[in-house]
This record gives sequence, structure tokens and C-alpha cells, in this order.
Amino acid sequence: MSMAPGITRMDEFLIRAALGAGLLGAAAGPIGCFVLWRRMAYLGESVGHMGLLGAAVGLLLGIDPLVGVLSLAVIAALVMSRARDGAIPAGTAVGIVGHVGLALGFVLLATMETVRTDLLGYLFGDVLALSAGDVAGIAIAAALILAGSAFFWRTWLMQAVNGDIARAEGRASRFADLAFLVLVAALVAFGLRVVGALLIVALILIPPAAARPFARTPEAMALIAAGIGAASAPLGLALAWWTDAPAGPSIVLAAAALFALSLLKRAR
Amino acid sequence: MDALITATNLSLNAGGAQVLNAVDFAIRPGEIVTLIGPNGSGKTSLLKALLGLVPATGTVARQPGLRVGYVPQNFPRDRSLPMTVARFLRLFAPEPAAQAALARVGLPGFGPRQIAALSGGELARVQLARAIATGPELLILDEPLAGVDVTGEAALYHLIAALRGEIGCGVLLVSHDLHVVMAQADRVICLNGHVCCEGRAEQVIRDPAFAQLFGPRVADELAIYVHRHDHIHEGHSHVHGPGDHAHG
Repeated sequence: MSMAPGITRMDEFLIRAALGAGLLGAAAGPIGCFVLWRRMAYLGESVGHMGLLGAAVGLLLGIDPLVGVLSLAVIAALVMSRARDGAIPAGTAVGIVGHVGLALGFVLLATMETVRTDLLGYLFGDVLALSAGDVAGIAIAAALILAGSAFFWRTWLMQAVNGDIARAEGRASRFADLAFLVLVAALVAFGLRVVGALLIVALILIPPAAARPFARTPEAMALIAAGIGAASAPLGLALAWWTDAPAGPSIVLAAAALFALSLLKRAR
Repeated sequence: MDALITATNLSLNAGGAQVLNAVDFAIRPGEIVTLIGPNGSGKTSLLKALLGLVPATGTVARQPGLRVGYVPQNFPRDRSLPMTVARFLRLFAPEPAAQAALARVGLPGFGPRQIAALSGGELARVQLARAIATGPELLILDEPLAGVDVTGEAALYHLIAALRGEIGCGVLLVSHDLHVVMAQADRVICLNGHVCCEGRAEQVIRDPAFAQLFGPRVADELAIYVHRHDHIHEGHSHVHGPGDHAHG
């Protein structure tokens, strides 16, 4: 390949994609650890599915889809976190609600002629289309999510270790619980552009799972997960570049490859 | 002295069953109170109601700013959450107190161990260390001996009694083991949804309600036991190590 002038433009969108996805992956690491520890994978998945409905509602109302996604993700997270095991297990209830959101979002988007072509983008992300403004937005969101994670870390951790002890000894905080759900929703909302409604939960779950065997403390696991989440972006984009595969799913595959490698190491 | 926690008219319904029925309870600073009763008698529920973990009706008044150290009956260990003993203790208490507590329960040097890799008995001690490291005014222990072998049980009860003296905290505990419980308690509460009887161990076991609840055989056996001044004697099912004699 010759050094054509076009390469520069290509470099730019690749750099924007790597930055956007990398920052998001880093922010997802610590939050993802709690999603893992607190067995909230279903919730993360369903909030992601609801994101599609949020995007559809945003487009329908003529507002920024991101606002629609963020609002619906926050509402979904707050409502679904209240699900408790009963005759219907909480995970099932949450899964049902999430898939209703996904189906409804589909139907709504299909009724809107102009956006029908973007459907795949909402489902699997459109990271190569990120503008500089999008990247700036993701950077601010990632910084806020990481700052929030650091701020609430100790309270979240006490809650994850044993909720009863935390509550009995007056160390639990409703506010910290709410903050966690809002930050998960924010992660989902900004992740929709990057890996899409169907795969965002993968970016939340896979890096912590890959980090687990290398960590002896929760803090180490969060840092390693952040690193793996960030590294998945350039690795996935390289994969997409060389194989012409879609970028969002390639980033998830890169994270999955790192997870597969981590299986070679036994967890301590 | 004012009670650390006072509960009045506590009732709890769970799944249509009356678990607690108009229970009154109070514990004073430095007092060891043990809750006994058959399975399903509401012992754990009473602790949880006092701690605000279950939605019971009635009133629970805590001394303002009361520091509680709680050891729950179950501590599910999560292999997905890497956690050393040291990190676990420091999560709840400052470093020097955490180290001292770990040494006090006989596990110095266990700091770098993973919580998930501990034996049941070691976990019980780490739980106790965590609770005392926070400098509690009230220790609430729900079956703190789960997973502890017979040899360790008596030793751990003596430790709990000694800690009461060292920290000056009140201790409220639930246990299945009537023998050791009765030897160490200032007050025994016999629970079966409601308070059947309460008082000093020797009073409680002579109470007809106690015999009704546990059977006359257990009552007689314990009566002899308590009469011998808390002494765990030879030939009994309890085994204890050298230097491990029970004193009241």
C-alpha cells in the first residue's frame, strides 16, 4: 500500500474509534467487576436492550437519541434492580422486560422510514462513525464513570462482600446503590454507539472475567479489567481492519480472546 | 445503665407464618445474652429485626450512634471476588485494629490468605476478627461457630466472653450448642416465636417452658451441667484441649 493522502483520513477515524472504544472499555472495567460480583449480568443485558427502545423513542420525539437512551436506561436500571426472586426468578423477570424493550424498539424503528438503515448500527454499534464530538462526550462520560467508581468504591465493595453486614452496621447507602445503577445506565448509553445494544453487556462482563485469574484483591481486578477493556479496542479495530469485519463485534471478539487466554491461568 | 438496643412488641410475618410474636428485648452494655430455641423459633429473625434487616412491626430503639459488629449466620463466599483476609478486614477497620483483631482470634499471619480458601473454622474466626476490629459497642453473633469443630467451639466461646471484658461490648448471640452457651451467658432467652422464658441459665432450665420446648431429658441434663458450675467435665461429649477449662 502506498502512502496515499486518503490514509490520513482513515487514520483519523480509526484513532477516534480506538479512543472512544478504549475509554469506554476502561470505564466499563471497574463497574463490570461489580456487575459480576453482584450477579447483575441479566440486568446489564436488559438495560442494554432497553437502550434500543430509548434510541427509538428519542428519534420518535425528535430529540438526541443519546438522551432517549440515557433516560430509558436509567429508568430501566432503577426499575429492574427492584426485581426479587419469587415465583418468577428475578433474572427471568428482568430478561423479559429487556426483551420487550428490544422488540418494541425494533418495531418503533421499523415504523420510521428514514432511520431503518441504522438498525444494525444500534444493535452492533457504529464505532467507526464516531465524530470528534462523540469521542469528547465518551471521554467526559468515562471520566465521570471512573470518578464515580472511585468515590463509591468502598461502599459498593462492602455491599458486594455482604449486604447484610453492610446494612446491619450502617455502612450501606441507598444513594450509592442508585449511583451504581445510574453509572451502569450511562455506560450502556454511551456504549450503544460503540458496540451496540446487543453487545454492550459483553464489554461490561468479559474484561472483569478475564481479569479475575490475575487478581488477588478487588482493586487489582478492577484495574486489570480496565486495562483489558481498553486494550480490546485497538486489538478489535486491528482485527476489523485486517479482516474487514464489523468493528463493534470485533472489539468484543478481541476481549473474548483475552478472556480465553486468561483461562490458561488458574484463579487464586 | 441505658440499654444499647431496646425492642418493644416486635412481630414479624414471613410467607403467612408468624415468625415473631410480640417480642420485647433489651441488652445492656457489657452483657452477654444468648438466644436459644428450636429450629424455626425465630432466633435469626429476631437478630435481623433488631438490625433492621427484616421489616418487623413494633419499635426498635438503638442508642444514638451505636456501633454494631455483626457476624451473620451465613457468609457466602464468592470465588469471583478476589479478597485477601487483610483487605477484607481493612475494608471495615483501620490497619492496626485489623491486625490486632486477627492476632486476637488466633490467626496472625493469615492476612495474605484468600477468604474463599479458608476452612469453615478459619472463616468463623476471621468474621469475628472483622466484627471486633470495628470497635463495636454491641456484638451480634448469629451461630458464630458454624464450621468450627468441637475442639474449637469451647475455645471460641471463651474468646467471645474474654472479648466482652476487653472491649466492654454487649454480646448478643444465637447458638445451637446449649452447653457452652449456658456456661457463658449472663442471661439466656428461650425463644419460640415469643419469649418462653428468660433469666440466668440455672433459672431458665428449671422453667417448665424450657422443659416443654427442649424436652425433660435435655433440661435434666443441663441442670446437672449448670449445677457443676460451668465445668465441662470428663466423659462428656465435649472434648477440650489442655488449658481450655471453662470458667464462668
